[in-house]
Amino acid sequence: MMPCALRVAIAEDSAILRDGLVQLLVDRGFVITGAVGDPAALRSSIAQNPPDVAVIDIRMPPTFTDEGLRLALELRARHEGLGILLFSQYIETRYAADLLADDATGIGYLLKDRVADVKDFVEALERVAIGGTALDPEVVTQLLGATRRTDSLSVLTTREREVLALMAEGRSNGAIASALVVSEGAVEKHVANIFAKLDLPVSENDHRRVLAVLRFLES
Amino acid sequence: MVEQAEDSEVRVRVGGREMSLALSEEQLTALKAATRRILREPFTGRPWAELAFYFVSGGVAVLGLAFVGVTMVTGVALAITFFGLGILALSVRSARGFGGWNRGLARAMLGEDVEDPEPFVGRHGFLGWLQSSLRDRVGWRAVGYLALKVPWTVLGFLVAVSLWWDAFACLLRPFSGSNGGGPPVWGLARVVFPGNPFVFDGQGFFHGLAVFVLGFVFLFAAPWVMRGFVNVDRLMIRGLLGPDPMATRVRTLEQARTQTVDASAATLRRIERDLHDGTQAQLVALAMRLGMAKEKLEDADTVDLVRVRELVDEAHRGAKEAIAELRDIARGIHPPALDIGLEGALATLAARSAVPTDLTVDLRARPTPAIEAIAYFCVAELLANVAQHAHASRAIVSCAQQGTWLRLVVRDDGRGGAELSRLGSTSSGLAGLTDRVHAVDGRLTLVSPGGGPTVVTVDLPLAP
Repeated sequence: MMPCALRVAIAEDSAILRDGLVQLLVDRGFVITGAVGDPAALRSSIAQNPPDVAVIDIRMPPTFTDEGLRLALELRARHEGLGILLFSQYIETRYAADLLADDATGIGYLLKDRVADVKDFVEALERVAIGGTALDPEVVTQLLGATRRTDSLSVLTTREREVLALMAEGRSNGAIASALVVSEGAVEKHVANIFAKLDLPVSENDHRRVLAVLRFLES
Repeated sequence: MVEQAEDSEVRVRVGGREMSLALSEEQLTALKAATRRILREPFTGRPWAELAFYFVSGGVAVLGLAFVGVTMVTGVALAITFFGLGILALSVRSARGFGGWNRGLARAMLGEDVEDPEPFVGRHGFLGWLQSSLRDRVGWRAVGYLALKVPWTVLGFLVAVSLWWDAFACLLRPFSGSNGGGPPVWGLARVVFPGNPFVFDGQGFFHGLAVFVLGFVFLFAAPWVMRGFVNVDRLMIRGLLGPDPMATRVRTLEQARTQTVDASAATLRRIERDLHDGTQAQLVALAMRLGMAKEKLEDADTVDLVRVRELVDEAHRGAKEAIAELRDIARGIHPPALDIGLEGALATLAARSAVPTDLTVDLRARPTPAIEAIAYFCVAELLANVAQHAHASRAIVSCAQQGTWLRLVVRDDGRGGAELSRLGSTSSGLAGLTDRVHAVDGRLTLVSPGGGPTVVTVDLPLAP
C-alpha cells in the first residue's frame, strides 16, 4: 500500500467496464474521486474533486468518435499536473501524435486489453499520475513500423531495439531491466549505446527521454 | 325519331320498325352530359389553346427541321473532314434546343408537364465536346421528334385546320351572296363532298340551309379532331423530348446502388458499435477479473479464497453474457435460421415475436439468398416495430408468391398512425428497409390510418 493513495477519476461509458475498473483500483488501494460515463460529467467531477490522474475512454457519448481525446487535450490545458490515461479499444497513431504534440509528461495511451495484466496496468497508471509516460506497446510497434529511420535503426542490435521500444513506452531503466530480465546496469549500457548510435541528446529524465525517442521515430 | 318514355326507355323507330332501347338513369345522365360537352366545347378556351399550340409549335418544328436538316446534310456531306463532324455535332445540339422549345411550349400552352431531360455534359476539350454531342441521345431523340412532328403538322393542317376553316366558311356562305363572295370552302369538306356543292348558283334556300347546318357540324367536330392531333403530339413529346428512359434507368440504378452501399456501410457501423460497446467491453472486463484473480492466487500464503471465488464467478457470468451477445450480433449479420429456408426462418421470427403472430407461407420455389435475406430482415424489423410502437394484440404475417413477385404482408391490429419517416426504432429501421427493398427494385407500401390497422406490404422480385 502506498503511503498516500493516488486519486483517480474514471470516464468510461461502458458500465460493465467502469464498474470493473473501480473494483480493480479500489482493490489496489486507489481512491476513486469519480466514475462517470460522459465528458461533461468528468469535467464537473474534476472541478469538484480534483484527482491525480484521469482514466478516459476515447469513444464516449454523444458522437462515439474521439470525445475522450478532445476532452484529454482540454483537461491538460486547464489542469496543470493532472495525469491523463487514455483508454481505447483500438490504437490510432494519429491520436498518439496529437497527445504527445508538445509534451509527454503525465500522458498515457493504452489499449483496454492491458487491464488484464493488472500489475502492468497499475504501474502504468502510477507512472502517469506522477508525470511519467505510458504508451501502449501497440503504439510503439506502429511507430517503429512507420518510421523512415530504418537505416539508423538497422545499426542497433536486437536487444538494443527491445530496449528502445520499452523506452518509447515510457518505462524506467528499472522497469526495462525487470521486463527483459537483465540487470539495471546492463540496461544503462544499452541506453547509452542507443543514444550514441542514434545521435540523440542524452537525458537522465525519463519523460524527456521518451520524447527524444518519439521525435526520432516520427521524424 | 327518338322519343323518351317515362321509364327512361328510349324508343327508336328505324325503317318503320320500332326498337326499344333501355337506358339506365346513369347512362341517360352520361349521354346528356356528353351532348352538353360537345355543344359547349367550341366556346371554351381549350380548343383555341390547342389550335394556338398547333400553329406556334408547328412553326417552331418546321423551322427546327429546316435548320437541323440543312446542317445535318451539310455535315454528312463534309463528314470526311473535321469541319463536317463539327457541323453535324452542332446540328444534333441545335435539335436539342428546338426540342426544348417545343417542350416549353407544350408546358406553357397545354399544361403538358414533361420533365426536362438530363442536361448536356460535354467532355473536356473540342474532341470531347464533339464526341459527347454526336452521342447525345437527347439530341438524336429530338431530331427524331422533329422528323415526325413536321409531317404530322402538315397532315394536321390538311385535316384539323381545314375543318376549322370550313366550319366558318360554311357558316358564312349563305350570307355571302350567290356569286362566290366570302371565304372559300376548300379543305376537308371538298374531299367529303366532291364536286364543290358549296358554290351557290341558285340552288335555293334549302341548299343554303344545308350548308349552314354542315358548318355547325364542322364547328362541333373541329375541336375534337384537332385534339386528336395535339394528343398524338403530346405522346411524341413525352416519348421523345422527356428524359431518356435509359438514362433515367441508369440514374435509378445508381441511386439504388448508392443506397445499398450506404445501407451496408451503416450496417457495418452498427455491427462495429455492437461489438465495441458490447462484446469487446464484456471480454475486457472478463480478462480484468481473471487477471485480478490470478494476482490474488499468486501469493499462496494469504489467498483470499472468498474474493477469488467472487472474481471467478463474475468472470464466468461475463463470459456467458459475451457469448450470448456475440450470438445476437452474428444473427444480425446473417440469420442462421435462413439456412433452413425462408419459411422456417419466418416461423422462428413469428414464434419469437413479442406480439402473438400468425404466419402463412405459400412459396413454390426458394427465392435467391439476397431476396430471402431482405424478406427476413423486413419481417424482423416490421415485427419489432409492431411490438414497440403499435400497441397491438395480434399480428399477421403472410408471405406468398404472386407471379414473379414475392409479396410479404405484415398486418397488426394496433393503433395505426404510423409514418414511413417515423417508423423504426432507429434511422436504420424502416428507412433502411425501404432502401434495401428499392435496391432490388422492390416496393414497400405502408397503410396505417389513425386507429389502425397498420398494413405494410413489401413486394420483392423473384427473378432479378
